[in-house]
Amino acid sequence: MFRSSGVYLGLKTCNYSTYWAVSGVMSSFSEPIEIELDSLLPLIANGDRKAFGRLYDLTSSKLFAVVRCVLKKPELAEEALQEAFIKVWQRAGSYEAGSLRPTAWLAAIARNQAIDLKRRFAERMSARAEELDAADSVPVMPEAELAMDLSRLKKCLALLPEDRQDMVLLAYYQGWTRDELAAQYKRPATTIKTLLRRSLTVLKDCLDG
Amino acid sequence: MARPDDMDELAAEFALGTLPPAEKQEAESLMARDAEFAGMVKAWERRLIPLALALEPVDAPPRIRGAVMKAIAGDAPGSETVVAWKRKASAWRLATVGASAIAASLAAFIFVGKPASPPSDQRYVAVLQAEGPGPAFLASIDLANGSISVRTVGAPSLPGKSYELWAVGGGRDKPQSLGVIDASFRIPASKLGKIDPAALNDTLFAVSLEPEGGSPTGQATGPVLFTGKLVATE
Repeated sequence: MFRSSGVYLGLKTCNYSTYWAVSGVMSSFSEPIEIELDSLLPLIANGDRKAFGRLYDLTSSKLFAVVRCVLKKPELAEEALQEAFIKVWQRAGSYEAGSLRPTAWLAAIARNQAIDLKRRFAERMSARAEELDAADSVPVMPEAELAMDLSRLKKCLALLPEDRQDMVLLAYYQGWTRDELAAQYKRPATTIKTLLRRSLTVLKDCLDG
Repeated sequence: MARPDDMDELAAEFALGTLPPAEKQEAESLMARDAEFAGMVKAWERRLIPLALALEPVDAPPRIRGAVMKAIAGDAPGSETVVAWKRKASAWRLATVGASAIAASLAAFIFVGKPASPPSDQRYVAVLQAEGPGPAFLASIDLANGSISVRTVGAPSLPGKSYELWAVGGGRDKPQSLGVIDASFRIPASKLGKIDPAALNDTLFAVSLEPEGGSPTGQATGPVLFTGKLVATE
């Protein structure tokens, strides 16, 4: 159901909202995996490479989905994944149980790594449509199985006008900058900044309220 | 930037990833020296992360696993933060081995300072490292000897600039300067700050780039280049 201006070929993938029309098999992190990851991270902090390998096997496909959304070029996505896992190895000791769930902590590292890499290579999102089309689709999980917190976030996002939702999602999933959004929406970057911040404030009020 | 709302909006955009480079750098530096702001950023990451977790997994090419395992093969874990190095006679030798993994050549180990009345005999070590494979500092506090030491693992000496070491958090209202790391990567004992050992575990150490001689304001003014946490080495 991609909509309004309808130009975001990239959003056919890497956006949970497209998924509303999709049904399929989901594979999310289940609670046992979170628990196992919680037990692996202290081992990894102590240099246990076997534990690290296990963590890689449990999480790499999930983290690869995250970086693939930001980086359409496969070689960049692969580099980001590799760098993200090296960071996980280096930072395992700073993981604080109870602060973020392990999967969230890992996904944040992967996403930040991918966005850094995207900025560094200044990969333009003005990529040709066929390139975006050609990118493997990264569908999202069926709604029925979505975690509660995603359902809530989705409800809160729905409070925003559609173009604002898209801006937030393009930024989050695909790492679009203010300038890229400005070009896409034909608004000044300062306006985009204002719109983004207002939108995020709405989200926060809804989520925390 | 004074209003909490503005801070939170900056944190929100930082977490979303849309800040232009200069503002992003500002936010990063703010994160290192302002625990409240860092908390706001974390809260935003937490609010948004369900989106990332909603993605369907995509198998990565198998060669990535091999490349990752190879990359960490010679590397001590926790090089950014916490390294459980053993104490006693081997402590410094092991520390050197860990640091060697980061950079082949080391500046001479530099021993500085004698703060008064060491309250315990614990020893702490942290590697302060930038994002990526950049240069790093190794900082340690030995409460038994009452010493703080800093050495570089490759940070360049920059003309007209000084590196300044800060302690952040751990009950401090604002970052505390521990002194300027001079051109030969020492912290002169005369400039050395005092550390409250009780708060060490919650303290983040950071190195910022300042005008020559250190921050003119008493607070970090330049970009925060390196951060790390100390850990007791038993």
